[in-house]
Amino acid sequence: MSNSNDSAPNGASKPTFTIGTTLPSDATDELCPRLGTLQLPGRRTIETPNFTAVTSRGVIPHLTPEVVSKYTSFSSAYIALEDFLEKKDHAILKMPTTDRPLHAFTSFPAHIPTIVAARRCPSVLAPAGNTAKNISIFTSTGFSTITVPKFAATVAHIRPDIVIALADLLHISLDPSLKKKIRMADRTESWMDEFLELVNADVRESAGIKVFAPILPIDHTTQWAYINHLNEDLSGDLAGLAIYDVNILPDLQLYKNLTSLPKLSLDLPKTPHDVLRQVALGVDLVLASFVNVISDAGIAFSFTLPTDGDISMDGDIGAIMPLGIDMSETAHATSLEPLLADCACYTCTKHHRAYVNHLLHAKEMLGWNLLQIHNHHVLSVFFSSIRAAIGRGTFEAAREAFGRAWDVDFPQGMGERPRARGYHFKSEVSQEKYNKPGWKGLESGQGVMADV
Amino acid sequence: MVMAFNVYESPALKFELVAKCNTTRARASNLTLPHGPVQLPLFMPVATQASLKGLTYEQLEQTSCRLCLNNTYHLGLKPGQETLDAVGGAHKLQGWDHNILTDSGGFQMVSLLELATITEEGVRFLSPHDGSPMLLTPEHSMSLQNSIGSDIMMQLDDVLVTTSPDAARMRLAMERSVRWLDRCIAAHKKPETQNLFCIIQGGLDLEMRKECCEEMVKRDTPGIAIGGLSGGEAKDDFCRVVETCTALLPDLKPRYVMGIGFPEDLVVSVALGADMFDCVWPTRTARFGAAVTRHGVLNMRNARFAHDFGPVETGCGCNCCLSVEKGGMAVTRAFVHHNSAKETVGAHLLTIHNVYYQLNLMRQIRESIISQRFPDFIKEFFGNLYEDKKDYPTWAVDALRRVNVDLMK
Repeated sequence: MSNSNDSAPNGASKPTFTIGTTLPSDATDELCPRLGTLQLPGRRTIETPNFTAVTSRGVIPHLTPEVVSKYTSFSSAYIALEDFLEKKDHAILKMPTTDRPLHAFTSFPAHIPTIVAARRCPSVLAPAGNTAKNISIFTSTGFSTITVPKFAATVAHIRPDIVIALADLLHISLDPSLKKKIRMADRTESWMDEFLELVNADVRESAGIKVFAPILPIDHTTQWAYINHLNEDLSGDLAGLAIYDVNILPDLQLYKNLTSLPKLSLDLPKTPHDVLRQVALGVDLVLASFVNVISDAGIAFSFTLPTDGDISMDGDIGAIMPLGIDMSETAHATSLEPLLADCACYTCTKHHRAYVNHLLHAKEMLGWNLLQIHNHHVLSVFFSSIRAAIGRGTFEAAREAFGRAWDVDFPQGMGERPRARGYHFKSEVSQEKYNKPGWKGLESGQGVMADV
Repeated sequence: MVMAFNVYESPALKFELVAKCNTTRARASNLTLPHGPVQLPLFMPVATQASLKGLTYEQLEQTSCRLCLNNTYHLGLKPGQETLDAVGGAHKLQGWDHNILTDSGGFQMVSLLELATITEEGVRFLSPHDGSPMLLTPEHSMSLQNSIGSDIMMQLDDVLVTTSPDAARMRLAMERSVRWLDRCIAAHKKPETQNLFCIIQGGLDLEMRKECCEEMVKRDTPGIAIGGLSGGEAKDDFCRVVETCTALLPDLKPRYVMGIGFPEDLVVSVALGADMFDCVWPTRTARFGAAVTRHGVLNMRNARFAHDFGPVETGCGCNCCLSVEKGGMAVTRAFVHHNSAKETVGAHLLTIHNVYYQLNLMRQIRESIISQRFPDFIKEFFGNLYEDKKDYPTWAVDALRRVNVDLMK
């Protein structure tokens, strides 16, 4: 049943992406979940569907590289270039040319592929939009811009496994005018051409870089010319697509040269329900930024995809189950239970709820560290169940059962979050203070509280 | 038969003197505690609230740490005694099956709470939770530390800044600390499984310190701490107190100088006959972006490290500095600079490095004592730290000279 995409003319710039079973197999024109494997040179094989973890400044928040290596198994890591561009002489560009300067600079575990894009996801809206030549970015020292040649040169130097080419995205308004949308598509198309000229097949070959083309979060009719250009002229240069809005996926079926490319969704899911919907639409890799957010909120994932046995008892499902458990709740203060029963992650096998509860109340950094390990693990298991269900042909049933059994949203975490840094958000007029002050004078004004 | 003269045993502790330096007063020894053996001299990192600043327990273990601190005051507030009892103690709470030492909680009352008042009964303070008046007595401190289940517990002492000019108050504090030790011993419910150490007080008054040593030693606790130091006194005064006390303490008991952590202080204190130390400095300074190295403390936030692609310290064996081939993370100074005070990982990486540095320094000291090379080690250590001998701190030169090491030669 497998049909590989080795018909591509330029094998060098393509990762080996093999699509396995697609379901339903008798209706290939329709959108359906699909199994595949993505092999990037020198990296661990990615079984798809899978998720991509999100880094901040080159690290998965709260996880040192050795912890990532030992206790997580996510497929790949999304790294925003803007996290490295705050100084004039960017250190990452001075990095001695090793096999993989980006991996070396961030000490990222060697088996995990890196996916680089210009901006964080979700990105902070820039006060000024992009211009024809300059793309707005937000660094830890403020707003700046990057050009296509600069982006291309940086990428060629740092050598990520995958780069998402520049897209003219919604930097100011979330609902731009039609005129603006047309310009977005036009610019993205010309940036794409300029980028591929600079990062041409030879560069890609020698640097071991694969290019994913962005598909904009605007309707199909506005960007069909751009997508058609990708399909007709550039498909041989592309190794995948980065989808900013999954609602366009039905229309993408029309482009035969693009269907066999792996699809990475940057249409950020907020819950596992969203994840299942995206998989159902044929997404291969999901950018799971919600893991970091939910961990910071003190919540431990508690969802699993129902197996066949669970599905058969449909209609007779008990109480709605929560997607996550707020570990800061007092109920867990003395609980020696794991965060999630039978969970095989490091956190659940080594620690218990009482400890995570204590760490959250004490605002100890280890609390978020342990939650990140657990939550990334649960999501990996979830994806492994998704792949198994697709393989068995029971994905749709499992998805429905999941929708019935699990709550629609994560609980609101009541735990205090880690301090936010300047590059995490942009302050606005009369905005409430994001971080609580760490210390203040006593009412009497006689002393202060320190941390020890 | 001979070994027996080098061994002291009490119900929950075994102390074995392995070697004594022929020149200085330094000693190397093995200390066996309820949760396993540790080798002295030793530095103990501080996991204030039952967690070492973001490190997993495997990461702490990998620094070779087998004895860390928890703070009684903090654990008494969060998660609280009731929870500690329900969970079964601090080891179970934090998943740490090596040793834990807890302080009495008294020091934080005084250092953190401006409004604490000390009476014969105990330390009176306002709860930081709701401002209600609370009282920490020797009995309550013992009860809390029994609930924590620490391998080494500290007596509640009357801590006064050493620089206090009030000699009468200092004497009162010293004598009261002895009385409180008696109350602690009486209130200690688990002497079979937990060790209670006394704390020698007396400020900078050497006569008072001697008197205190004599009284405390009589109580025969399994270990002895020298307290009240590292509160801003002159380093010279500090050294004199340590050497005065160690001269009077029995050979076959561990000696713990509380609150000491700068590398020079550790080296000199060991030469003066001390065995155990603790300090929040290496881990706190890590969170501010400072790396402790044999060539001194480097502020990784300094622009000169932005393009420095070497390890935090060349030749260091910590997981942060080690190459990937050797099982480490091969973290560069540039990357630490990139994330210092930005991502929590920046702090984790330097915490790993700094704790490893401290423990490794103590390991090197121990090896040099055993092989009778300690005086040379001291000279090497200061030689690495300062470019020029004239920069050597006078207090260290003087203190070391009193134990027969002349750094200037």
